[in-house]
Amino acid sequence: MNPPLRIAVSGLHRGENPQPGASIVRSLRRRFPNALIVGLVYDALESGIYMEDGPDAVYTMPYPTSGATAFFQRLDTVLEKTPFDFFIPTLDAEIELLVHLEKELVERGLRTCLPDKETLAQRAKNHLPQLARTCGLFVPETRPVYDVSEALSAATELGYPLMVKGQYYDAKMAANESVLFAAVCKLFSDWGAPAILQRCVRGPEFNALGIGDGEGGMVGLCTIRKTIVSNQGKGLGGITVLDPRLDDFCARLIRTLRWRGPFEIEAMMDEERGEYVLIEINPRFPAWVDFPSMLGVNFPATLVEMIDGASKPAPLPRCAPGHFYVRHQVEVAGHIEQLSALSAGADFEAIEAARLEGAALSAPIPTSTPVRRHPLSPL
Amino acid sequence: MPTPLSDLMLNDRGFVFDPASGETFQLNATGLRVVRLLQSGLGHEAALAQMIAEFDVDEHTAQRDFTEFVENVSRLGWRVEA
Repeated sequence: MNPPLRIAVSGLHRGENPQPGASIVRSLRRRFPNALIVGLVYDALESGIYMEDGPDAVYTMPYPTSGATAFFQRLDTVLEKTPFDFFIPTLDAEIELLVHLEKELVERGLRTCLPDKETLAQRAKNHLPQLARTCGLFVPETRPVYDVSEALSAATELGYPLMVKGQYYDAKMAANESVLFAAVCKLFSDWGAPAILQRCVRGPEFNALGIGDGEGGMVGLCTIRKTIVSNQGKGLGGITVLDPRLDDFCARLIRTLRWRGPFEIEAMMDEERGEYVLIEINPRFPAWVDFPSMLGVNFPATLVEMIDGASKPAPLPRCAPGHFYVRHQVEVAGHIEQLSALSAGADFEAIEAARLEGAALSAPIPTSTPVRRHPLSPL
Repeated sequence: MPTPLSDLMLNDRGFVFDPASGETFQLNATGLRVVRLLQSGLGHEAALAQMIAEFDVDEHTAQRDFTEFVENVSRLGWRVEA
């Protein structure tokens, strides 16, 4: 019998703006129930840490902005305690760092599936117009701006309303100058420059999820129309669609980029043009990646098989049109000791054992009685 | 690009899903019958004749309503072959 797969996944939070990691863990559990799954988190309150069938071990990591040295110092400690072989990063800022570190990851025996740094740069929001031109596709008029006065001036040319986006995350519609001013200041503060201004497009939104094989082809593709969109533009609901024009749109991008690894393409049907327009390409699985897995089309598991295998995996089947998802938020329970272990920057290998004691942990603890610490707790 | 009528997914309650655009629609019983007839490969004239045979309607009214229906569904993004 083969030893269980050992896979690390990051980005476990599922709140108002969910990260993909928790969905990836669910998909991996569907195919590999015996896999050892390690959660690499940036915050002790990432909700996926505490979900049922969540990761077997969890470690806090330094923010990607701390740089490669801090990242590897921490990663080496983690690997010593809980070795793993595959790493599926899910956060754009993290991937920006990791594409520069392939050699160091390989030296540690870690296998990932990411594009190279040049390819990653080509799909950056401020480079999308050039990429779209190369592919013969449309993109809404886009301007990168590096300070507030440049933003206000560019907005006058583009006209209101317009979309204001951070270089990694966040998007807000600005209907006038004062909203734009506040949004740009916040994005600079959160994500740094540039912020991206984009002319608004009217029409339905579509997302495509897939894996690029690095040779211009796709191992799989799932396309949806967003049916419920949150105030932040997140898809709270979606339905599978099958449109040859959308498939061709995605194929052109992936072929041109020779994309390697997971991706999400965001597009809109521009009602004025009657054409799809490119909004964004994300270098990772989206938060809805477990939806196709529920339909039997498991992208995260296929990614692991693709990294693990010597040859290209068989193409994934398409999800038939007409299946939909609705995002459903639930509460997950944790215990203060779990939170404390992670918040203190200590390691949190005891999560599995702590979960097994769930009944005891969830019982009210009298404040006058000393809290019994779990034997494996670092506290 | 309009979706060919043959690609539409519909059930007996008149619920229609356009698999390319992801849009959903609701047809009444008459509209559903027209779409089913056209999906079966009948031309406009044959479908109209069948409607007149099945429903208690005079030819002039049927012709007018049929034409209006075809115009409406074309505006919805469905491609109805002549």
